[in-house]
Amino acid sequence: MTEPILEARGLTKFFPTKRGTVRAVDDIDFRMSPGDTLGLVGESGSGKTTTAQCVVGIYAPTTGDILFHGRSIGATAAKRSKELKREIRIVFQDPGSSLNPKRTIKQILATPLAVHHLASGREQLARISALLERVELPPAEYLYKHPQSIGGGEKQMVAIARALATNPSFVVLDEPTSALDVSVQAKIINLLLGLQKEMGLTYLFITHDMSLMRNAASRVAIMYLGKLSEIADTAEFFQRPLHPYTKMLLSSIPVVSDEEESLKPAKGISRGEIPSPVNVPPGCSFHSRCPSRLDVCDKIDPATVEIAPGHVVRCHLYPGPQGKAS
Amino acid sequence: MPNPSSLLEIRDLHVGFRIFEGHLRVLTGVALVVNEGERVGLVGETGCGKTTTVKSVLRVLPIPPAIVTRGEILYRGRDVLRMHRHALHVLRREELTAIFQDPLQSLNPVFTVGSQLRDIVRDSMRTPEGRALSRREIEARCIQALEETGMPDPERIMSNYPIQLSGGMRQRVCIAEALSTTARLLLADEPTTNLDVTIQDQILRKLDRLVDQKGSSVLMITHSMGVVRDLTQRIYIMYAGSIVETGPTRQLLASPKHPYTQGLMASVPRLTGRGVSEGIPGRIPNYLEPPPGCRFHPRCPHRMPECSVEAPPMFDVGADQRAACYLYRRSPS
Amino acid sequence: MQDTTKANLLAAWRQRRRNLAHGWYKYSRNPLSVLGLVILVLVVFVAIFAPYIAPYPGHAKAYTNFRDASQAPSAQHFFGTDRIGRDIFSRTLFGYRFSLMIGAVVLGLGVAPGVVLGLIAGYRRGTWVEVVIMRVTDVFLAVPPLVLALAITAMLTPNLINQMMAIALVWWPWYSRLVFSLASSLRNEYFVKEAELTGASQRHILFREILPNCFAPIMTKMTLDMGLVILIESTLSFVGLGVQPPKPALGTMVAEGAKRLPAEWWSTIFPALAIVIVILAFNLIGDGLRDVFAVEDV
Repeated sequence: MTEPILEARGLTKFFPTKRGTVRAVDDIDFRMSPGDTLGLVGESGSGKTTTAQCVVGIYAPTTGDILFHGRSIGATAAKRSKELKREIRIVFQDPGSSLNPKRTIKQILATPLAVHHLASGREQLARISALLERVELPPAEYLYKHPQSIGGGEKQMVAIARALATNPSFVVLDEPTSALDVSVQAKIINLLLGLQKEMGLTYLFITHDMSLMRNAASRVAIMYLGKLSEIADTAEFFQRPLHPYTKMLLSSIPVVSDEEESLKPAKGISRGEIPSPVNVPPGCSFHSRCPSRLDVCDKIDPATVEIAPGHVVRCHLYPGPQGKAS
Repeated sequence: MPNPSSLLEIRDLHVGFRIFEGHLRVLTGVALVVNEGERVGLVGETGCGKTTTVKSVLRVLPIPPAIVTRGEILYRGRDVLRMHRHALHVLRREELTAIFQDPLQSLNPVFTVGSQLRDIVRDSMRTPEGRALSRREIEARCIQALEETGMPDPERIMSNYPIQLSGGMRQRVCIAEALSTTARLLLADEPTTNLDVTIQDQILRKLDRLVDQKGSSVLMITHSMGVVRDLTQRIYIMYAGSIVETGPTRQLLASPKHPYTQGLMASVPRLTGRGVSEGIPGRIPNYLEPPPGCRFHPRCPHRMPECSVEAPPMFDVGADQRAACYLYRRSPS
Repeated sequence: MQDTTKANLLAAWRQRRRNLAHGWYKYSRNPLSVLGLVILVLVVFVAIFAPYIAPYPGHAKAYTNFRDASQAPSAQHFFGTDRIGRDIFSRTLFGYRFSLMIGAVVLGLGVAPGVVLGLIAGYRRGTWVEVVIMRVTDVFLAVPPLVLALAITAMLTPNLINQMMAIALVWWPWYSRLVFSLASSLRNEYFVKEAELTGASQRHILFREILPNCFAPIMTKMTLDMGLVILIESTLSFVGLGVQPPKPALGTMVAEGAKRLPAEWWSTIFPALAIVIVILAFNLIGDGLRDVFAVEDV
């Protein structure tokens, strides 16, 4: 792998609460190459959103680190350099609350340009218009509108334009299309992939939608209760899913054709409820729901093992040199 | 003439909303049928009017600003829109039941699950001889209803408050409530949209089995093609206030005929990894000034001059499948 | 380039006009709100043009005419005359000037610091900054407003400036608390997080991101407060701690006339009614504003 653009090393984030410690992210490692799209997939309590928030600087890691171009960035945005804030940007999930309802789109897009002294006055207006055109929103129509008078898809496009305003190299996409209709989603994903090629961007794509990742990601990682259970390149991942949780996820996807149905590992194997991250089961946290559970699974946390180049899995079914005690 | 075996029949429903800017003409001639024991899906994207349709059936539309300008909603031959209060009350209590997207809105936060479920069981259920159930019988029936939805540890759940349960568990409670009534028709409005995918899978499979057992009819409203494929026998595709295509579920999904449905199916990401389509160009129409004729024509790759003149009626496009598009004019329905 | 700028400005102007029209539509749904607005417009008009409308403008200053004193309302004197012969109608019109001016100045002086402190405290909730600001606010709030205003004016020489400062000092904590609770919930919104992640300055976040979302409650409260400020001013003048005679403050006029109730009822009732009308107008407008800002659901 060429020099990774982003690397997480033992990234851990715990939140102490009255009811106990929420182990949101628990000792995860991953690497991303420039131009990658890493799909970080998980359900509620998986820690995928918290991971994204650590990468972008909403939280600082409890322990462990995040490296950007080899340099440690594990800190909140307030403590990061301005340069870093320009390079790493985020698009949030809910378009309704990520755009200030009391500001016009022009004002919203002007802010990152002004903060980073990238343009002002007439040039600023020109750049904002160019940004809007890039996301296929005619400037004359949209510049002076307020977010409430445009639809969800258009709001997300404004959010994307805002993220790209500073010419970043790395964009975190936190479920950018989960709240949108499927036809709008297609448009936006298309736009994102096109922009990625054009601007040489690297994407960390948080989602719960595996079918989407099948088509948009270059690598896929699955998280469960704060830990990474499997990572692989997309094609390998869907051809040879190894972890029982991965298989459970894949079997649960509502597909629309017989062809896809036959690609699913099994049907209807999902069982059990997702435990709360305050009460993570001992050993392998998935053992309470796992159909392939072994004796050792509720005592010892499995080690991460590289089964094939780039394909990493954390499961006692694929034992490595030693397991870690929980 | 009402279809004899139809449970629910919506005919030519036109609903509008009066707001500041003018008159929103939302539903324009919605027509759909749910027969006894049938599972029907109503699929459409945001703003297509499916929730307005459901609210019209339940008659919970906020009447001003909403206004029903034309049409009938027949339940077993009787028009719901023109029913008197008492008859409507009986209808809602004994014949219709509903599950909504957000269980926190349907469940009363200050009562335990048990107390809410018991109320429903007590009111709806009788012994085979016709007498009311005893307390022990009610309790047993509640536990059984929860168990059937796949709820873990139902006895403990009975004394929990909705806020203490996970989203999936709350929805299971709603399903238990809905299926404990005598209702023949279940209206499910995006029941699993907010749930995790592994939980959604479990709940939908359970719902499938329970509905089968009870012999209820279902009208499932959703935007997810995958959900509708597994759970329904027939679907209606809705766009901008009217039905654009209908037919047997698997058949329609495999071979969509209306350009909107085709665009929609192309946009759904596939497990086969065939790539991402460009979606459907344009936006949903402004209901204040909707495009004349077929409301989809501004976005349609196959538009023809007649499309902007008058909205097309349904044409036959295959076994039991119909689409409202002039492309299929040769065989009128 | 020039063309697009012009087109853009035109689009902006059109959009603004549309938003205003929509706001007016919502406001005018309630006839009472419109009534309140009409009354206020009349009051403001009257206050501005008092020297030209009042039949006896000179009576607002030092003037005595014992021959015409204590006359009941008549064609020459709509509201009658007071004990030293001044036309009450004219003095009432001039009295409105004081009331409105005091309302405007007090709110101007009191609202701004309150809002700024509330923003800072709300955004920095959980830090010592918040603790200091809010505890000081609490201290001021613990004392009943009227008592505090009385105490302050009593300590200083009773005149217009001191009266206004006293009331302003009483007023700012209410805004501080209002904006504190707004700001501390708004700071968790994603658009604020986004501004922080971009690296925007705290000043930008407080005044460009958070404050615009507080305008609606602040404006509604200010409108309702105008009535209250005028009432407090009247009370202060009533007890002699405000505007001194011969200046025609409405409260002073009520006080002077009160001594001669019920015989010379006109010298109290009319100024009192004038106070009631203007306060009512502000309350109705405040209610109307609440309707305008209410979020709709269609």
